[in-house]
Amino acid sequence: MSARALRIAMIVLATIGLGVASYLTYVHYADINPVCTSSSCLKVQTSVYSKLLGVPVAVLGLIGYVAILGSLLAPESETSRLATLVFTFAGFGFSMYLTYRELFSIHAVCEWCASSAGIMTILVCLSVWRFLRGGPSAYESPRTVPADPQHSAQAIPS
Amino acid sequence: MSPVNDPESDLTRKQRREQAREQRKAIEEAEASQVAQRKRLIQLGAVAGAVVVIIVIILIATGTGGSKNAPAPKSAAANSALATVTTMLQGIPQKGNVLGNPNAPVTMQYFGDLECPFCKQFTVTTLPTIIKKYVRTGKLKLEYNSMETATKNPEVFRTQQIAAYAAGAQNLAWYYIELFYHEQGEEDSGYVTESYLQGLASQVPGLNTSAWSESRNDPTYANQVISDAQAANQNGFTGTPSFLIGKSGGTLQKFEAPGLTEAGPFEAAIEKQLKA
Repeated sequence: MSARALRIAMIVLATIGLGVASYLTYVHYADINPVCTSSSCLKVQTSVYSKLLGVPVAVLGLIGYVAILGSLLAPESETSRLATLVFTFAGFGFSMYLTYRELFSIHAVCEWCASSAGIMTILVCLSVWRFLRGGPSAYESPRTVPADPQHSAQAIPS
Repeated sequence: MSPVNDPESDLTRKQRREQAREQRKAIEEAEASQVAQRKRLIQLGAVAGAVVVIIVIILIATGTGGSKNAPAPKSAAANSALATVTTMLQGIPQKGNVLGNPNAPVTMQYFGDLECPFCKQFTVTTLPTIIKKYVRTGKLKLEYNSMETATKNPEVFRTQQIAAYAAGAQNLAWYYIELFYHEQGEEDSGYVTESYLQGLASQVPGLNTSAWSESRNDPTYANQVISDAQAANQNGFTGTPSFLIGKSGGTLQKFEAPGLTEAGPFEAAIEKQLKA
């Protein structure tokens, strides 16, 4: 997969995640029931774990996806790839914490949260891959191209 | 034949120099690439480690939303819980697991697990409003039923529930239930021990603890836990707290609460039954 294709795939995933987080944030502030196949989403959304330090976790998710998207849209560099890695790792860690709370504290799994956790898991895997394989410059260094082709032509008689 | 004057030899040397330079460059680039890769791996490890530390801190800080261990019977926290519960329940008639006027026109059944943090949330935030507005005024009677969800050990669940129902033999079950929720410890931490159950009993105002201990062996309460489970199953409940609301003596209807921290929907459902 080319670096460009990988980046585009990650942007698409982060945009979907941003959509999910935006919807959950809207549901939280509009005080309406999220669209869900059971009452699980509501239980999770209204549980004591739906806020961290007074901030709704949906808002934290929204901020996380915006940060990931921002780092992906920034010019390709070692720093931007590191930033994506940091943000996706933070998002993944937080998703794992929330999943733990859903399974062992709230005893209900919200489909929206599970889908966000799934997106974050794929994003962290892709960002690790992207970060470790480095930038395009590492593959395109002019190792065999002579600095002066004219000189080379003269040096090697036909 | 001097190698200096031999153009072919000179060319070979140039080519060799070129080759050597390229090899050197390739080695340098490979080394630089290795250093960069090592740096990336260190950064990756640092990021992963930092995230793990932060998540562990959040886990510890959030706990269960309450204290890790249940408060000791005479502690400040326990006294505070007792004061809250006494203010809420004092003067309201109780019979067995029912709180409120026996002739109240509307009945609400509350299916809960005493170790369930979600039930605690409902009990400490929304239930006081319902009790004050409808139970104290004689319009509603509340019936507590058990349903095993958060308690992992079935024997612990049975024991704690029988302990609560046994207080009902002295018409004080609701004190026991409310105190249990208000002093609930961390889920799965094993805080529900015999001394914890005894400690709660010692806090219930007016409870004869010797008689309560005897009542705990009464098979009526063990059977009640079984019939509660059957009722929960028949109603298709999948979690706690779950509710049934309806006209007293009639068929109660399942009530799906849109939220557990708002009394509004409960009040609307009760009002609807009162007007029916």
